Amino acid sequence: MGVEKSADQALGGNYLLTRVDQVLNMARANSLWPLTFGTSCCAIEMMMATGAPRHDIARFGAEVARPSPRQADLLIIAGTIVKRMAPRLRTLYEQMAEPRYVIATGACTISGGPFIYNSYTTLRGVEDVLPVDVFVPGCPPRPEGLFYGLLTLQRMIKSGETLRQPGVRRKPVMSALPPGISMDDIRSEMESLLEADSEVDVEARRRQLGWPSSTNT
Amino acid sequence: MTAPIRTLDDRIRPSDTPDSPLDTQEYFINMGPQHPATHGVLRLMLKLDGETIREVIPVLGYIHRGIEKMGEAMTYRQFVHLTDRIDYLSALVNNWVVARGVEVATGTETNDRIEYIRTIFAEIERIQSHMLWWGVLGMDLGAFTPFLYGFRDRETLTDIFEETIGCRLTMNYIQPGGVMHDLHPNFVKRTKAALAYSKSKLHEYEELLSGNVILQERTRDVGILSAEDAVALGVTGPPLRASGVAYDLRKVEPYGVYDRVDFRTAVGSVGDCWDRYWVRVEEMRQSIHIVEQLIDNIPEGKTMLMKPAKKIVIPEGVYYNQMETARGILGMVLVSDGTSDKPYRIHLRSPNFNNLWALDAMSRGGRLGDLVANVSSLDLVVPDIDR
Repeated sequence: MGVEKSADQALGGNYLLTRVDQVLNMARANSLWPLTFGTSCCAIEMMMATGAPRHDIARFGAEVARPSPRQADLLIIAGTIVKRMAPRLRTLYEQMAEPRYVIATGACTISGGPFIYNSYTTLRGVEDVLPVDVFVPGCPPRPEGLFYGLLTLQRMIKSGETLRQPGVRRKPVMSALPPGISMDDIRSEMESLLEADSEVDVEARRRQLGWPSSTNT
Repeated sequence: MTAPIRTLDDRIRPSDTPDSPLDTQEYFINMGPQHPATHGVLRLMLKLDGETIREVIPVLGYIHRGIEKMGEAMTYRQFVHLTDRIDYLSALVNNWVVARGVEVATGTETNDRIEYIRTIFAEIERIQSHMLWWGVLGMDLGAFTPFLYGFRDRETLTDIFEETIGCRLTMNYIQPGGVMHDLHPNFVKRTKAALAYSKSKLHEYEELLSGNVILQERTRDVGILSAEDAVALGVTGPPLRASGVAYDLRKVEPYGVYDRVDFRTAVGSVGDCWDRYWVRVEEMRQSIHIVEQLIDNIPEGKTMLMKPAKKIVIPEGVYYNQMETARGILGMVLVSDGTSDKPYRIHLRSPNFNNLWALDAMSRGGRLGDLVANVSSLDLVVPDIDR
C-alpha cells in the first residue's frame, strides 16, 4: 500500500498502474484461447471460422483452440443449451482460469431461438447459467459475425478491467435500438409471450385435438 | 445376432468372470459430453479392462430439444425449418423428407424441374458433408492438414448454397410442393466450376491421406462390423455399405431423379474403419458424377406448385417415407387426424441414432485408442441422435 501511495505521489496519480493495466489488457485481448465447445449447428460455423483457412481467426490471435477448459480463457458457446447440459456448461465455465470471457453465438443462446416455443428442454438464453460478455445473433451466425463479436470482445477487454477493480467490465455500445423502443419493452414483451406459452389449458387443448382420436385407438 | 435386453443397472456392474488370465479388474471411464473427438455432446461410458474395451454405453440427452413434440404444434411448412437443425450437414435432405411426406399424403405431383433441383442440391450437400467428415477424421487421427483442406474445399460448395438459397448451413429451401425460390442465374456456371475444382481436389485427398501409413495402420482391421451385426442393429448409410451390404435407397427405392442417372454404389468388404473411409471417398466421386449428368439438363417449369398461403390438410392416416442422407436412412412417420393442418404426431427415424449402437459392436474387444477412429468413421451428428 505504501508503495502504491508513493507511486501515486511520485508519478502524479495512477499513472504507473494504468500503464500496467493497459499492457495487460492488450496482451489478454490479443491472445484469447478459445475452448472447443459446440453443441449443434453453430459449432460447424465456429469450426469454419476458427479452423478453416478462408476465415482465418489466427489474424486476431485466437486460433489456439484448446479442448481442456483449464487451458482456455474464451468460452464460445456454439449451439443450443438444454436443461441437461446446463450444469455441465456451468462446470466448464468454472473450470476456466480467470480472467475468462464468454461469447454466446446463435439465436439459441440468446433466447432459445427456434426452440423458444413448445420445447420442454431448451434453455431460454444462456444468461440464466453464466454471465455472457458478447452475444452474436444469427442462426447460425456467419464466420464474419463471429469475428465482429470477437473484435467487440477485444475492444471491451482493452478498455475494461483494471488491477484495482478486477471483474468490472464495461460493455461497449455497438448498435442503437430503434427510436421509441427500449430494452425493457423488448424484455417485457418476451416475458409476456413466454408466460402465455407456458400456461396450457389441458382440457381445452384436449378438446381442440379431439383426443383420443380415431388414429390413436 | 441375438441381443440380450439388459438394464443400465446390469450394464454398469463389473462382470464377475473377466476373460483375461491375469488378475485384472474392470473399471469405468467417461468420455464426453465435452470431448473434442465426440463431435458435440455425446457421452460414452466405457467399461475397460486395462486398455481393452469391454463395453461402450452411450448416454444420450445432452442436446435433446424435443423437436418431434414441437412439430405437433406447427403446420407442415413451419416444421420444415426445424428439420434443418437435427442433422445440419444434411439439411436439404431433411427438408425433402418432410416435403415428400406431405406431397405423397396429399397426392401432389411435382414437376421435373423441382425434382432436378432437389436432387442436385442433395448431392452437392452430400459432397460437402463428406468433405467435412474427411477433414475431421484426419484431425481425430492426429493430422491437422486434412482439416484445413476439407474445410477449404467445402467453402466452394457453401458459396453455391448461399447464392441460390441464401444460407450456408440451415437452408429451409425444399418445401412441400416445390422449392422456396428459383435457381440463381449463376448456378449452373458456378456449380460446374466447383465440381471441376472438387474433382481435382479428390485426387489431392487420396495423395495426402488415403495412402498415408499412419492412417492405414489406424484404420485397417480396426472396428470391424460384420454384415449380420450391421443389419441386425439397423445400421444404414456408408457404415452398412462398408460392411458389404449394397443397400442404397437411391438405388433400391429411387426418389427424385435418381432412377434417370447412372451411378454406382460403393461397397466395402471387411467392414473396418478403412472400408468406411473408402466408401465415403468413393461416394463423393459418385455424387460429382451424378451432378455432372444433371446439371446441363435442368428442364423449365414452375418451382412452387402449392400456394404458400394454402392450408395443407392431410387425410387421416399414418404415412411413412424415407430417404438416404449422407449418414444413412432418414425416415419420417407422419400421423394425421384428418381435421387440423398440424400433424397429430411426427416421428423421425434418424440414421445416427441407429448407427451409434454399432459403436459397441465394433469397439468391443478393441483398444481404447481405436475408439476415436471408430467414432470418427461413423460420422455422427449428435443433435440428430437426440433430436
